[in-house]
Amino acid sequence: MDILTLLIPIALTLGAAFAILFILAARNGQFEDLDDPALRMLQDDE
Amino acid sequence: MVGEDAFCCTGCEVAWSLVHEAGLDAYYARRDEAGTRPAPLTGAWESVPFTELADGSCEVTLQVDGLRCASCTWVVESLVGQQAGVHDATVSYATGRTRVRFEPDAVSVRALADTIAKLGYSPRPLDAPAPRDDLLARLGVAAFCTANLMLLSVSLYAGWGPGMEARFQTLFQWGSLALATPIAAYAAAPFFHSAYRGLRAGAVGMDVPIAIAVTVLYAHGAFRTLNGAEGYLDSLGMLVTLLLVGRVLERRGRRAAADAAAAIASSLPVQTRRRTETGVEDVPVDALVAGDVVELGLGDEVPVDGTVIHGQASIQMAILTGEAEPVSVGIGGEVVAGASVLAGAVAVRVDKVGEDTLAHRLAAAVRAATDRPLPPNPADRLAPAFTIVTLTLAGLAGAAWALMAGPERGIEVGVAVLVVACPCALGLSVPLAVASGLGAVARRGVVFQDGGRLLALAGVRTVVMDKTGTVTGGTPAVLSADDDVLARAASLERSSRHPIARAILAECERRGLALPLATDVSELPGSGIEGRLNGEWLRLTSAGPGAVVLQSESGVSGVIRLGDQPRDDAAAAIAQLHAAGIRTQLLSGDHPEVTAAVGQALGLDAALGSITPEGKAEHIDALRRDGPVAFIGDGLNDGAALAAADVGLAMHSGVTSSVLLADAVVTRAALRPLVAAVAGARATEAAVKSNLTRAIVYNIAAIAAAMFGLINPLVAAILMPLSSAWVVIGALSVDRRIDRMETEWTS
Repeated sequence: MDILTLLIPIALTLGAAFAILFILAARNGQFEDLDDPALRMLQDDE
Repeated sequence: MVGEDAFCCTGCEVAWSLVHEAGLDAYYARRDEAGTRPAPLTGAWESVPFTELADGSCEVTLQVDGLRCASCTWVVESLVGQQAGVHDATVSYATGRTRVRFEPDAVSVRALADTIAKLGYSPRPLDAPAPRDDLLARLGVAAFCTANLMLLSVSLYAGWGPGMEARFQTLFQWGSLALATPIAAYAAAPFFHSAYRGLRAGAVGMDVPIAIAVTVLYAHGAFRTLNGAEGYLDSLGMLVTLLLVGRVLERRGRRAAADAAAAIASSLPVQTRRRTETGVEDVPVDALVAGDVVELGLGDEVPVDGTVIHGQASIQMAILTGEAEPVSVGIGGEVVAGASVLAGAVAVRVDKVGEDTLAHRLAAAVRAATDRPLPPNPADRLAPAFTIVTLTLAGLAGAAWALMAGPERGIEVGVAVLVVACPCALGLSVPLAVASGLGAVARRGVVFQDGGRLLALAGVRTVVMDKTGTVTGGTPAVLSADDDVLARAASLERSSRHPIARAILAECERRGLALPLATDVSELPGSGIEGRLNGEWLRLTSAGPGAVVLQSESGVSGVIRLGDQPRDDAAAAIAQLHAAGIRTQLLSGDHPEVTAAVGQALGLDAALGSITPEGKAEHIDALRRDGPVAFIGDGLNDGAALAAADVGLAMHSGVTSSVLLADAVVTRAALRPLVAAVAGARATEAAVKSNLTRAIVYNIAAIAAAMFGLINPLVAAILMPLSSAWVVIGALSVDRRIDRMETEWTS
């Protein structure tokens, strides 16, 4: 069971990395407009 | 590729050269609809607020109206984005909200708006840019930490029976503390901020007991962890996460309502034609003064209140009367701003401009009336008592136990009281039930501005309805006519904008009739239309309300009966309202006979016609003596009535600014959503009440047990989430309750 001492911190660190990514995405406004990107996709870029 | 004479107006030419010079000719390949004439920019663009971003650039949010297709967003984004000093522009096609990142030294907000206006779209400054907050990020952190906290805590609780190695116990306990710290310090920050703001303003809201609970839970947990004991910090995580979920739901509901309101722009024109000594010039409406003469033709909107001095026209005055049926106005007749010319041409002497016009005065009166305070959130009303009672009881119990069993036991009991007296259920009870109610009602076609207004609808005793556009479709439809008569009439009416003409044409299309081509067609302003068809002279004239007559050289050749038809679901919806114990009344500016006929056909309790906009408001005021009144209407002329009623609902017809002044907007062209809104309001009220009861019952039982020293922190940790879950289940019942009520009322 000693492995727990290693695995729990690793799991928490991994989770924390994703939590930080989520904070960055939320601050960046990724979740502000959930309707337009779907329409925008249909336009081809010049 | 485009000839010099290919432009309909200089505006198009300007827009084309702007687009062409910027190298964006592809726009013409992309657009699927021709553009509109650009209007000059009006408004106070110098004082538009913008925010400075971290990198030194600035960001401004504008509302752009008139976006018709996805390529509109493309051309606005590209053209604004190419302007010197602009980093980028993002246009939301769904809401018209345009965000521009720019250098304030290089380009002004006015110049940005000017570019958009030159393209033919209407930019408007937004009063306050929507603040970007971290609520979602905080919820993410709280949810992540809480999920892991639960994992560790459940392991710790499970380890109580069989025993657990001491080093793992220590690891788990310190892990819990590490996970709880970001929750208390970061995720719970909004509660501390608003509790502090409230206290400074002398108001104890629901956030004060929440802030106390977070502090006590964290301090207690940290203290125990430092002393090598279990900290019960999972309660803290559950509390903050659930409360943040409530906040996010609440905010999303509010934003949806604000977007619905922002999507509707004012309908007054910004440019008009002024008569000069030598001819006619185009001027902005702002430049008009009393005494000027403006010339109005087919399709124009009247920009001012004035008197007709020349010509005759058929003018639709829905803004004043609420009726789509146009009236014939000749020399000496009065017109109001916001009316539109459907046939003929007139010269109008300007009597009143801007703030003095009827449209502005109605809007101002309504705004003054809507400043009525909203009923406070019931949980916030309970908060001060809750805080004081809990703190007092914790102090008393702590003191009593300290005297009996020593100071240590005293502190333990005091903390236990504070911990179990969880404001969680109380804090969640109302926002969850209301958010669930707002969502359920919005899915059924009514968007409320906020929860307080939804709850206000629950107690309504009388529903007053406007006729035209609310109970009825608002535009005349052909009730009966022979195919032959209809086709000949339609040929004459082919290019007319009159609502009757449109009704006849629509019916022809429905029946699939061919339209022969008429010649020498001329409109007789206010009375009808005439022309030649296959050499035969024909004239179509009005024959009293609800009928037009087709005359030929040989006499009357046919009658077309028209009527403003009640909506398909009107009778059913009104019967359901009656079953719900609500009285219904019909108020209209239309003829009393027509109103009474509609009222009788649909089974309304009362139907009154020939009522002025002010009359409607007075009538509603009188009705309010017998209990709360809801009003549902559509035109700007209903503004005063919308404001006078306890709850005002606006039909979203897409042209009225009354939507901005209503408590709720009906997003479908039907009456059924009104019934759903009433059911939703009652279901939400019931859920709020039962949730508050549940929260209070839980708190009384838990506090009493804690005061007698019966509750240890583990029991508290289990009880708290259970009480929250109980409240969540209560809130989820709203949707089911609405369906049940609607079914009950149908039978």
